[in-house]
Amino acid sequence: AAGLCPARALLARPGAALRALCGSVRGLAAGPEMHFGFQTVTEAERREKIYQVFESVAKKYDVMNDSMTLGIHRVWKDILVRKMNPSPGTLLLDVAGGTGDIAFRFINYVRSVRERQLQRKLRHHQNLSWQEIAESYQEDKSKSLGDSQVVVCDINKEMLKVGKQKAQHLGYTEGLSWVLGNAEELPFDDDKFDVYTIAFGIRNVTRIDLALQEAYRVLKPGGRFLCLEFSHVSNPLLSSLYDLYSFQVIPVLGEVIAGDWKSYQYLVESIRRFPPQEELKAMIEDAGFLKVDYQNLNSGIVAIHSGFKL
Amino acid sequence: MLRGGTAVLRRAASGGGHGQGQGPAQPLEPSLLRFLVCPLSKRPLRYEEATNELINEELGIAYPIIDGIPNMIPEAARTTQKKPPAEGSKEPEQ
Repeated sequence: AAGLCPARALLARPGAALRALCGSVRGLAAGPEMHFGFQTVTEAERREKIYQVFESVAKKYDVMNDSMTLGIHRVWKDILVRKMNPSPGTLLLDVAGGTGDIAFRFINYVRSVRERQLQRKLRHHQNLSWQEIAESYQEDKSKSLGDSQVVVCDINKEMLKVGKQKAQHLGYTEGLSWVLGNAEELPFDDDKFDVYTIAFGIRNVTRIDLALQEAYRVLKPGGRFLCLEFSHVSNPLLSSLYDLYSFQVIPVLGEVIAGDWKSYQYLVESIRRFPPQEELKAMIEDAGFLKVDYQNLNSGIVAIHSGFKL
Repeated sequence: MLRGGTAVLRRAASGGGHGQGQGPAQPLEPSLLRFLVCPLSKRPLRYEEATNELINEELGIAYPIIDGIPNMIPEAARTTQKKPPAEGSKEPEQ
């Protein structure tokens, strides 16, 4: 993995940092040293620093996402929800869902599925009795989402605040709730959710293994785990261009748009430090998930990992 | 705020009930109580309307609800003074 990024060679410090670099994240007993981007920090420091990163970027989060990815992050998120293909009545837990991008897409999706369902029902039931028609009025009014629900859980107050404001601004009121919580220690009961998503969040979790175990715990049997995250590009040419863009352009954008070079430097570094596709797949399997698979988007710049609790 | 032009205001069909008040004592979304448990013990919580908190009686801790969002981070919980927790509370006093 070290060979992928020339900048890493320049920034790497000898000794402990290199060991941490090469060590498998899976096997990493939470020793005193962890990585924060390319720095070496203690576990407590890492949590603190990550919290501060998102506290700082919260208000500009969406704008930065659009600028850095040229709007493509919207497509990635659309693909995630389409892959999920939720039916009305689905209970979704969106972890690290801060500003609500996945939650809103989920609501839109089930709403349109629900509308189509109702239209189909109408077409096939032209000869309803008056009794049935009266009943249908009562039913439909309360079920525009068909009992679907999404709980957005994030550890960062600022991100949730932005998300809640966005929801109000866009008119999302029903089927949506917000919880301040830690992915490694979820405040939810066992076997509750149909789907668990974590989009561009798991990279910032300090103990990924714990987060995966918690994901497994709160999912219903038959439930699905979906993770959308930056991953590794194997194509060497593309990889070099990607590195160039990441290290030369993104922090500059961060400074110009959000006035925050360091946070975006962290972002770029954290992507490089994150386990590649196969390794993350193994970690997900370790948590007990079955039929674990991944789908590369844009040659591996982003990947969607999926697993089932069976 | 939101880029991408036309913010289509989609009003929920059933005029979603709960008030969007600005006050700090925004009530908790009732459906959440179905799922929420104490992150430490994973045991059920009691919603205390008076203080707008979620109480874990066993451990003697209370999670605050701010702006309608429950704060379920153990470090943010306060110990309830009513009875000393049986197992010894892990929570630092706020």
